[in-house]
Amino acid sequence: MTSALSYAVWGVLALVVAALWARSHQPDVSPARPAVVLQRLARGPVTRIALVVAWAWVGWHLFAR
Amino acid sequence: MPTAGRRNRRTVVAMMALALGAIAYSLAASATTPFSATANAATALPIAAVTVLAIAHWPLRSRPGSQPAVVPEGVNARGHPLRAWIVLVAVVVGFELFEYLAPGSRGAHPTVSSMADAVDRSRGLKAVVFLAWLCLGVAIVCAGTPARAAGVSDETDR
Repeated sequence: MTSALSYAVWGVLALVVAALWARSHQPDVSPARPAVVLQRLARGPVTRIALVVAWAWVGWHLFAR
Repeated sequence: MPTAGRRNRRTVVAMMALALGAIAYSLAASATTPFSATANAATALPIAAVTVLAIAHWPLRSRPGSQPAVVPEGVNARGHPLRAWIVLVAVVVGFELFEYLAPGSRGAHPTVSSMADAVDRSRGLKAVVFLAWLCLGVAIVCAGTPARAAGVSDETDR
């Protein structure tokens, strides 16, 4: 029962990501497109370092440990 | 213009070769076992490549005005364009921490890592996830690289 609830929450979060992604590509709406968010992060003096470190950590955690 | 056409064709061929190389590398990396030297090497190589490319292509200091507009001009957006993404990331990180710290088995409280472990058991899916991770690394480098026209002036910042 507990795991079903957890998976349901993860599923809802995945749907929210997909919905936000789709909405950001509509004209005249407020959420920025993911590419623009990535560009903002990659061009900030601190966020660009955090972005590369986060990407590297995710890869290491998922494939190497 | 034949010269421009030849250059475009060369760019397309180079992009296709890069894509095929990335697919082949992902398939090879998906055959490695976590906690092994080969898995460490297969993961460390792209990390080193992206780090070197970022150092080589990104300007030392970001110039004022180099940040892209989050909303195209003329669009009357309500609220901050990044707010929804920030809230979503905060909720995902919060739920991940809740699941990680919750008492009980990992099966009862799955985290992103444990779900990824299940995906990694299939070699094909693991190759797809690895390829997506490689593509994200390339996208990060490209996102931080100034446009070629602006790159000339950005060089003075080095």
